[in-house]
This record gives sequence, C-alpha cells and structure tokens, in this order.
Amino acid sequence: MQFKDQISFVGQHIKKNKMRVFMTVLAATMGTAFLIVLASVGFGLHETIRGEVLSNRLVTQIEVFSSEMDEEKVAELKKRDHVKAVVFRQNIGTEQQSSIGNFTGNNPLIVTDFIEEEKANFELQEGRLPEKANEVIVGSNFAEYLMNQQDENEDGEFTTYDGKLIGEQFIYQVGDNEGELIEDEMMLTIVGIGKKPAKDWEQDQKIYADASIIPELEKIYYTHVDKPADDHSDAEQLFYGNVNVYADKLENVKAISTALKDDGYNVYSISDELDKLDVFFLALKAGLVFVGTIAILISSIGIFNTMTMAVTERTREIGVMKAIGADPKLIQRLFLMESAWIGIVGTVLAVVISYGVSMVSNYVLPIIVTAALGEEDFGDMTVTFSVIPWQLVVIASTISIGVAMISGWRPARKATKIDVINALRQEL
Amino acid sequence: MISVRNLNHSFKIGKKGKEKQVPVLKGLTFDVADGEIVSIVGKSGSGKSTLLHIMAGFLTPESGEISVQGIQTSLFKEVESAKFRLDHFGFVFQNFQLMPGLTAFENVELPLTLKGINKSERQKKVKDLMQSVGLTDVQDHYPNELSGGQQQRVSIARALITDPPIIFADEPTGSLDSETEQDVLLLIQSLNKTRGITFVIITHDDEVAQTANRVYRMHDGVLTEGGAHHAI
Repeated sequence: MQFKDQISFVGQHIKKNKMRVFMTVLAATMGTAFLIVLASVGFGLHETIRGEVLSNRLVTQIEVFSSEMDEEKVAELKKRDHVKAVVFRQNIGTEQQSSIGNFTGNNPLIVTDFIEEEKANFELQEGRLPEKANEVIVGSNFAEYLMNQQDENEDGEFTTYDGKLIGEQFIYQVGDNEGELIEDEMMLTIVGIGKKPAKDWEQDQKIYADASIIPELEKIYYTHVDKPADDHSDAEQLFYGNVNVYADKLENVKAISTALKDDGYNVYSISDELDKLDVFFLALKAGLVFVGTIAILISSIGIFNTMTMAVTERTREIGVMKAIGADPKLIQRLFLMESAWIGIVGTVLAVVISYGVSMVSNYVLPIIVTAALGEEDFGDMTVTFSVIPWQLVVIASTISIGVAMISGWRPARKATKIDVINALRQEL
Repeated sequence: MISVRNLNHSFKIGKKGKEKQVPVLKGLTFDVADGEIVSIVGKSGSGKSTLLHIMAGFLTPESGEISVQGIQTSLFKEVESAKFRLDHFGFVFQNFQLMPGLTAFENVELPLTLKGINKSERQKKVKDLMQSVGLTDVQDHYPNELSGGQQQRVSIARALITDPPIIFADEPTGSLDSETEQDVLLLIQSLNKTRGITFVIITHDDEVAQTANRVYRMHDGVLTEGGAHHAI
C-alpha cells in the first residue's frame, strides 16, 4: 500500500470518529501545553536571573594581573579572539585631592580609555565623554566625598557638596612620594557623571580621565620626584595599572581565561559561579519537564482508550483486510499512524497555545505582581515569567509524540493479532 | 492447480483443562483442476467452511499438505500467506464482507490499493470491471445503500479485480433471494468461461452445488466425490 493511500485511509477513519478523536487530541494538547508552559517558567526565571547577573557587566569580565602591564601588552590582549574590550585603568599611587571651593575630598583619579570602557558597557547618567585633556567624568558619588571641613551639620558631620557638577571646574592635586600634596594644581572640568553602580552598596567617587592627561600630571609629579631609571621599577612610579578583559560572550570567558593563564597572567572571572547557576536551573528545568511529562502520560490513557476502541470497532474490517491479503505489519502501521496523528496534532496545537499563554503571562503577570506588591515596577530588573526556547518545543514534541505512539502500540499489535475467521463471523 | 493431501484438522472445545479434541477434517485428499468450478456441499457443521479456511490460509492444518500451483501453501507463515492470498486468491463471502465506510468503487479498489498500485491505474481498472459486471450506476453508493444482489456483485468484483486464478466463494448465495441467486450463479459461470477463473464454492444448497463442474460432498469431516445429493 502506498504511503499516500495509507494517509488517506487513516484520514477516513479519523473523519468517521470526529468527536472521539477531537476529545483525545484535546487531552494530548492539554498535557503537552501543560508541560511546555510549566517548563517555560523555569526557562523564564533562568533567563531573568542570567540577564540580571550579566547586566552587572561582571560575568564577561576577566581581571588580569601582571606586574609588567603596559600599552603594548594591552594592544596584544585586544587582538585576541572573542575579546570585546580591554580596559586598561591606571591608578595614581600617591596622595591626591580634589576641591571645589571649600569642599575637598580624596577622590582617586583613574586614567582610562573611554572607547574601550564604552565597549565594556560603561555608561553615563549625565553629560558626555571627555574630549580635551583637562575634561573628566566623575563617579555618581563624587560629590558626597567632597566635604567642607569648616562646616558641620546638626549631626556633627561635615557638610558635603550639593551643587551642580556638569560644567563645574575643580582643583586637582597629586602628592609626592612622601605623601605630601604638591602645590602645583590642575584645573579639571567635569563633563559627565557615570551611571550609578548596579549594586546599592557600591559607591563610585572616582574621577575618570583620558590618557591625554598623563603628560601634564607626570610633569607636575616629576618636578618634585626623581624619575625612575627603569620604566618598570615599582618605586617612584606615578601610575600603576590594572587590566580588565571583556569577552564578547559568556561562553568564551573560559577559553580566554585559560589562554591568559597559559601565557603567564594571573586571571579571575566569575563565570565559574555562573556555571553553578546554570547547573541549578538545568536541574530545575529537568524537574519541571518531568512533572509536565506526568500530564502527558495521563493524556496518553485517552489515546490508549481511543485506539483500543478503534481496533475493537473495526475488528470485522481488519478481518476483511487480512482475508483479502493485507500484511499484518501494514495494519499495525495504520493504527500507529492514527495514534501518531493524534500526538502530532495535539503537539502542534499545544505549541501554539503555549506560545499564546507565555505571551499573555509575560504581559499580565508583571501587572498583577506589581499591583500586589504595591510598587510601580521591579526597579531595574526585567522579569520574564515564561520563555519557550526551540529546545523546549523539541523536547515536549518528542515526549508527546513518543508517548502517543507508545500508547497506540499495544492496540496496533492487538489489531495484527485479530483472527480472520472470528472477525468475519462478527455481525455487521 | 489445488492439491490437498491427507488433510487433518481438529478443534479443542470446552473449558480450559477439560478441553475435548473434536476432529473436523479426517484425512481429506482431493484435487481442483485449472479453470474448474468445484463445489463442496455439506450440512452445517460438516467441516466445509474449515476446509475453505485452511485452503485459503486463514488456518494452519494439523497435518496434511496443500499446494496451489505447485507451491506448498500449508507451510506458509502469516505474512507469506497474506501475500499469497493477495496475489492468487479472490474471496466471495455469504454476508458480502464489504467495508461499510467505503463506496462500492472503493471497496472494489481496496485489493489494488493494498497491492500498492497507482491511483490512476487502479481507477481505470475498477471502472472497466464495474462496467463489465453492471455496477457503474451504483459505484458511488455505500454498501448499506445497495441491495443484497448488488452487494454480492460488488463483492465478486472485489474478488476479481486482482485477476486471481482462484476464487473461493463461501455460501455466495446464502443471503440472496432465489432470483438474485440465479443472477450471481450465472455471473460465476460466465466469469469461469470468459476468464478461466477456478471457483471453489462452499455451499449447503444442492442447487447451487450443481452449478459446478465437479461436486464434492462433505459429511462429518470426510469428503466424497459425487453428483447428486441422494448419493451420500
């Protein structure tokens, strides 16, 4: 029997028992949709938490330590595969002071490459990036660290600067190698304010300047301090640097870290911790799929019943087909095709419904939850309640269609074993 | 063409553990020649239907040999037997055994569909055959919309469609009135003459049996060859 004839044969039987087949398909659809929607919550939470961790820009960050870090090495690091950005921050290793009027603070100055910083998700909450040597960006907590030591508030604490920052000029001084402030001053202009750190407990009072500031600073410093004979000497050096390498994707962090270690760098990344998070969510998702599979197994009872009834009702027809010369394997295949059809249609409907439920829940649940919590939103957090990746669709479809075929297996076997003589004796 | 040698068969009856072996066929030996109409006539319970079931491969005999066109069919497994039936046998049953969900046309088409023949080829063949047996007018009717005689004609057409050399007819006129019975018997005789098909007819009716070239009589599992009913 040709395959298209087999399909048309199965189709005729399905048409004859529309209502029964519809109810069975409905049960299969409900079971599969339950599995997909349930597991999608696991995928949604995983994505939410992963997104949250990733948004802290720490996961793709690899801290690189080397006693001999310089521009040449940084340039070499930038050329490596899957490296998105290499941020070479140079700190000043001596006393420093910033002051606006009577407000003074020891805010540290950091020289960095803003192009690389931007690639590594450095963001401004206000203003723009520096364009000239004396233009700087300040951290979001910069002003809180500028204090007027002649003025105390009612709690006995020094008052802090609360004036505007953007466009404001301030005096910056560095100390010598003894820790004494050098009298020569630099006037720096604030052109931007960095974004508040994601974590509440983190504070950013730093001053960020472009590398073009280095000559002037070194000039001031080395007029009071002897320049070291060797560029790499620890003593008397104004700047010391640390490097953060940013991978383009989380998956590549491990490979980059390993390569750096092999090249003699000391490295640290928190991708290992994220691996643990992934393992936890993998276990959670597997558990949810398992619970959902139970629903599919329950629906499979319906398929088993439908197929058993179909075989019983068609005993005489099966007998006639066998008498004429139908291969028992063909009869088995026709019944298996029927149960597979139920499984496939049920799965397709379930996938469509699940995507609908997922979309609606992602839209409606945040509204309900925020209303219940009495807050306007989840803050900076983007909560995704349900995500259906293609892998989940494949897993659910395999389970659903597989279970449908297993349910139809026994009735199909029963059909092949029908005795021709007894079947032909059945009343019409 | 069909050669039956020393065929024995018995059934177990009664409760499990207290079963009784009842012999149904007792050492049957006979032949059916090419192009013959052979009838096996006997009372109900004489074993004639069991003989047909064994000859058709629905049942495996306890002992004895059956060969069709020189091929020993009694040793066939289920799958081989089914394939052999599809290629060599046609069947006409007392209660027609048509598929209720298929039209007359589709019922006739069924054996060709099982053989995996193309739809266009199938339809041409079925159309021609239905025309030759006078079923064109009712080809789109379902079995429950046809008279007994029409249903049996459809059943005969279904048996003929694969051009089998042998057709087994189990009480072919058992459900028909006498007028329709004559029509069906005439059709069988005509097909035998025009197409040279061998018919093995199982019947309890002497009149039907007389249509045959040769009549075997079955009594208590024993077969005798003879012309008239009173010869038993």
